[in-house]
Amino acid sequence: MNMIGDPLSIGRVQLPSRVVFGPIATNLADGRAFSDRHTAFYRERAAGGCGMVVTEHASVHETDWPYERCPDATEASRGWTDIAKACAEFDIVAVAGLNHAGGQSTSAFSQRELWAPSDEPDVNTREVPKIMEQADIEAVVAGFGAATALATESGMAGVEVNAGQFSLLRQFLSGLTNRRGDAYGEDKTLLVTQVLAAARANVGDGIVGLRLSCDEMAPWAGLTPDAAAAVAAQLAPLVDYITVVRGAIFSVAETRPTAHHGTGFNLELAGAVRGAVQEAVGDSVPIIGQGSIVSVEAAEEAMASGRCDAVEMTRAQLADAQLVAKARSSAPIRPCVLCNQLCNVRDNRNPIISCIANPRAGHETTDAPEPTGVTTPTGATGSDAGPPQVLVVGAGPAGLEAARVAAGRGLRVQVREAAERPGGMAATVATAPAHARLVDLINWLADDATARGVEISYNSPVTADELEGFGGQVILATGSTAAPRLFKASDDADIVDAVDVLQAAAGGELEALVDGKQVAVWDPTGGAGAIAVTEMVAWAVGNKGGPPVQFITPDANAATMLSLTGDLAGANVRLQQAGVDIVKRQRMVSVSRGSVETVHAFTGERQTIAADLLIDVAARHPEESLWNDAGARHVRAGDAVAPRTVAEAIREGRAEAMALPLAPTRTLDGEQL
Amino acid sequence: MSGGQYQHLFSPLAIGSLTIQNRIVFSAHLTNYARQDGKPSDQHAAYYEARAAGGAGLIITEEHSVHPTDWPYEKMIHAFHEDVVPGYRKITEAVHRHGVPILAQINHNGGQASSMYTRLPVWAPSPVPDPLFREVPKAVEQHEIDEIIESYAVVAARCIEGGFDGVELQCSHSSIVRGFLSNATNKRTDHYGGSLENRARILHQIVAAVRDRMGPGPVLGVRLCGDELIEDGTTIDDAVAIAQQIETNGGVDYINTSIGVATASLFMIEASMHIPPEYAMFIPSAIRKAVDLPVIGVGRFKDPIQAERALAEGHADMIGIVRGQIADPDFVKKAKAGRPEDTRLCLSCNQECVGRMGLNRWLGCIENPYTGREADLGTPPDQVASVEFLSRPRPKLAVVGGGPAGLQAASTAAAAGLDVTLFEASDKLGGQVRLAASIPNRAEFGDLVRNLGAECRRFGVDVRLDCPATIESIEALGPDAVVVATGAVAARPWWAPPPEDGGATVVDVLDVVSGAAEPSGSVVVIDDVGFHQATSVAELLADRGCQVEVVTKAMVVGQDLGVTLDMETWWVRASAKGIVQSTDLVAMGYGDGTLTLLHHPTGGEQTRSPDWVVIAAPPQPKTDLYHQLQDQLGQRMPIRRIGDCLAPRRAHAAVVEGRRVGDELAAELLTSPHPEPAR
Repeated sequence: MNMIGDPLSIGRVQLPSRVVFGPIATNLADGRAFSDRHTAFYRERAAGGCGMVVTEHASVHETDWPYERCPDATEASRGWTDIAKACAEFDIVAVAGLNHAGGQSTSAFSQRELWAPSDEPDVNTREVPKIMEQADIEAVVAGFGAATALATESGMAGVEVNAGQFSLLRQFLSGLTNRRGDAYGEDKTLLVTQVLAAARANVGDGIVGLRLSCDEMAPWAGLTPDAAAAVAAQLAPLVDYITVVRGAIFSVAETRPTAHHGTGFNLELAGAVRGAVQEAVGDSVPIIGQGSIVSVEAAEEAMASGRCDAVEMTRAQLADAQLVAKARSSAPIRPCVLCNQLCNVRDNRNPIISCIANPRAGHETTDAPEPTGVTTPTGATGSDAGPPQVLVVGAGPAGLEAARVAAGRGLRVQVREAAERPGGMAATVATAPAHARLVDLINWLADDATARGVEISYNSPVTADELEGFGGQVILATGSTAAPRLFKASDDADIVDAVDVLQAAAGGELEALVDGKQVAVWDPTGGAGAIAVTEMVAWAVGNKGGPPVQFITPDANAATMLSLTGDLAGANVRLQQAGVDIVKRQRMVSVSRGSVETVHAFTGERQTIAADLLIDVAARHPEESLWNDAGARHVRAGDAVAPRTVAEAIREGRAEAMALPLAPTRTLDGEQL
Repeated sequence: MSGGQYQHLFSPLAIGSLTIQNRIVFSAHLTNYARQDGKPSDQHAAYYEARAAGGAGLIITEEHSVHPTDWPYEKMIHAFHEDVVPGYRKITEAVHRHGVPILAQINHNGGQASSMYTRLPVWAPSPVPDPLFREVPKAVEQHEIDEIIESYAVVAARCIEGGFDGVELQCSHSSIVRGFLSNATNKRTDHYGGSLENRARILHQIVAAVRDRMGPGPVLGVRLCGDELIEDGTTIDDAVAIAQQIETNGGVDYINTSIGVATASLFMIEASMHIPPEYAMFIPSAIRKAVDLPVIGVGRFKDPIQAERALAEGHADMIGIVRGQIADPDFVKKAKAGRPEDTRLCLSCNQECVGRMGLNRWLGCIENPYTGREADLGTPPDQVASVEFLSRPRPKLAVVGGGPAGLQAASTAAAAGLDVTLFEASDKLGGQVRLAASIPNRAEFGDLVRNLGAECRRFGVDVRLDCPATIESIEALGPDAVVVATGAVAARPWWAPPPEDGGATVVDVLDVVSGAAEPSGSVVVIDDVGFHQATSVAELLADRGCQVEVVTKAMVVGQDLGVTLDMETWWVRASAKGIVQSTDLVAMGYGDGTLTLLHHPTGGEQTRSPDWVVIAAPPQPKTDLYHQLQDQLGQRMPIRRIGDCLAPRRAHAAVVEGRRVGDELAAELLTSPHPEPAR
């Protein structure tokens, strides 16, 4: 320790730490206005030691309404005022993110045409925009100016102008989207220059930052790292800092991707831009690094190696708002696992931003803060000796979170786990590609529970009789079990569950499992687990020179439920690159030795697919034998209620722990007190 | 008025304690008009009031959630909060002003939901994940079943308090009751599972609790599914038996019907133009034979004649017409007045109604720009506004282009009182809509042009066909403003050689539908648009005997067909016609009769050597006239640009822009001081 806790000067403002909370979409808005929920959300991060909060991008012109709850700058004054005040309580700087999404917007809400430099339709919406006229350009420049003035009047320390993902300004900078024949085509930086000038003219003493896509990942016409470094150097005199990001119309998911893309992938790019900017203007314009930086160690290394002056750690501060404070005291930080399951909210359904590890994220106005006190009304503490007041059955995410939170409320808690290790299904899934970070989360949960005095026993199954004899509160977090097959299978059919495959892989037996076999995967879930298992199997099959794995889905593509995480296209590409045949829109009818029979979901045509081994990725059932045997009176959490994901498990584990009465309610012989 | 040719349609009917004045029901459908806080909105009230004013016999609102565990989509009315009552009163008072009864549909969606908004486990009979939401639900325990039943009773009473004339229980396409009734989703072994009697137990318990709490006066209806169209699902025999049980048990005043499961076979619930009208008639017909309760039939009833015939033939006692009244709130009034030709007839295109629902957007209509905006814009004009206050001749508007944008602008401006002349270069109205509708199974889309053209004539627009507009012809008219709606023309992609340089057999879909090109033999259709353009031309060519492959760089051919519920039937037809669909392929070049394709996920190259290549790509706006007019007349009068010549998009964009610009110009020209004569 540590650079991230050091102050940093940007223009005339000082950041108390070098960790930035970036402008992430939240869906917290009330209509298109920043809400009290926004204020509480940012306040929580400011309280945790974040050096600078950049608020969710607000649209600077009426032609821009890219998602339903996208803030509108003209309605932002009250919210910006509240957020600036909340951050000021902690001497934290709040900066207003400003944007026009151009051709990457939608007409669905505005019911009018999109504006863009040229009539290139967006890849995802395929909506053809209007080629902007001179008056339109002037209106957008004026919009940035007016929004900057409003933000400044509202007490914000400045603005961050977006020329990163989802931005009209990047569309002007790029040959992918700017094919104009006028001055704005000849000098692709002209509009950004005018916008930055308008922002500067209206920001007073405040700062003007630029969020710049420095790699559009489409080198045939897009901004390349080299070109972007030159653009950054040219624009540096106009700005107070530059945040280096990547991605454009062909790489929307690459800007804030899942764990499939590794961590810190932009740092080399940030270093190159920093070099070019320093050459142009010295060190007066700090460079902020971004791109799946989720650990303090990675952040320190990024700065120590001179690639950036500060780091944007947005998702890491969703998982743990206390990141900087904990880094300062070397306390363990609840990890971001880079799953994007709840934080990637630019989705038609307008989900509220949250985090699988931290259910309070995004719900700061409704969910109680995590209890950290250990004093009970009786004066006992969680770590004091004495019989446990709470028995948690199962040390998966639901059970560990329940135990941790109950202990935080001052209760003495015991966890009994039948297996030899914590994590339950999450630990099994963690053996799959890009899921390894789940282990960090499981370990953090177990370590934190232990630190709060929770006693965790492994290889320690619980019987119904034991439950009957236990005098305290019980939370059953017993996880899931395989569900009955939903298709016909002959007795000699070779069928395994996805879980069996993961366990085989963990035991080094995957290649043996698939050796010499034509493998098929049946995935009615469309989820991440099926993709991960299939990738593992495809690699194992590939190593053995086996035939292509047949991935059978009822949907139009594999991984349809991953549109929320941004991995839908990526998953389909990875499967195909691994040599998998994706067999689409089929329903499983029957499985017999050597083949499966499917029926087309729409046409009803039957198809026989050769398969020596079928991997069934069906949804599971709750493991409820203990619950049934013990009289169905105990509280359950997570998969024991209904098998779902880590997010529901942690949320329910916490909710049940928060609902526990603080005094024991039953005596040893089971009578109510 | 007698109702003229519609004797059955306009005969009154008693339903429980109510008497409805005609047999047309505006039955329950999602609107996404609920406020962010779960309360009903002013838009709800304005929307239902418009249909009441238009003469609907009975209105049934969209579903209201009875319990906090049920919140499957964001903009759902939270009837489980008592603070919905003031919003209910606004709706019911607005509808009752027009003498029309209104019922509230109440529901718990059961397992057809997710925990995204509730942050609670999903409740269902059994842990069977829904095929759409994919979330494993919690199998409800007895005390939870009791809680659900009680919540229906509480909410029913709340609806009566809010002024509703009764409630309808949604027990069909998305409902926990449906979940219990269906063997596909009910795997229970207790007395709520197994036999039909057991599976229907919760339904009868809810009916009894609701009737008990509401008292004898208010109307109680039950909506049943006649065929779920899924493996192990409820079929018509079950539905008839359940209806008979309901009648025997008493307490219910009518049976409503539906077909399909919202999360598995939605394309049959909200059928598009590719499914025959009245396709679900067998359901009310069978139920009506078995019970004496009045029965509502639904399923693509587009015009009053159809409804009249179904009633006359005894298939149903009432007909649910939803999209017909979304497209034209005065559907009933116009039928009764004997002028159904003035109706904006629904196209069954599903683009802005159904298509917006699944995307969590407010309900609209491709041809009614007022739908979803009634609270702000009011309702569509039915006659020309009086401008007698003007001390001068009516201001003149020139509209250039007779596609949907120009027609709508002309109609709106004329209804507002402007003197409108519309120039159309060709001999027919409709622009690209006319071409799209020339494909046999897309014909109903052409009603858009018929409806708009009829409205323009009714409002006195001077429509000039075969009359290409020039600066001179416009100036000769002496207008006070000009609207340019000149549309778009096909654009040739970079990789396609010009016709004279080896590209003669590489053509646009517009060339095919206009007849300028007549491909034969093997054809590759390239879908760069993702809607009907490529798929309908592929069908046209397959019907003419071509071997057709549709190729797209996207992950799905005709991606947006899923949004309008046209994907399933497209696949069925494509399969029958031998049309091959290939995805993830980008066209990279064409030469010597060979088309080169890049499989972008893997980088592999593929080739095809078809006789013809047909391209569905975004066209280019036709802007020459607009820029000339801006340059030469722009200082003297407003020159506005709408529709495809602004940015090539779909018909809805053209219609909303036409309405907006028509109204804006009318307001500007009618309120401004007398302008200098534009010469």
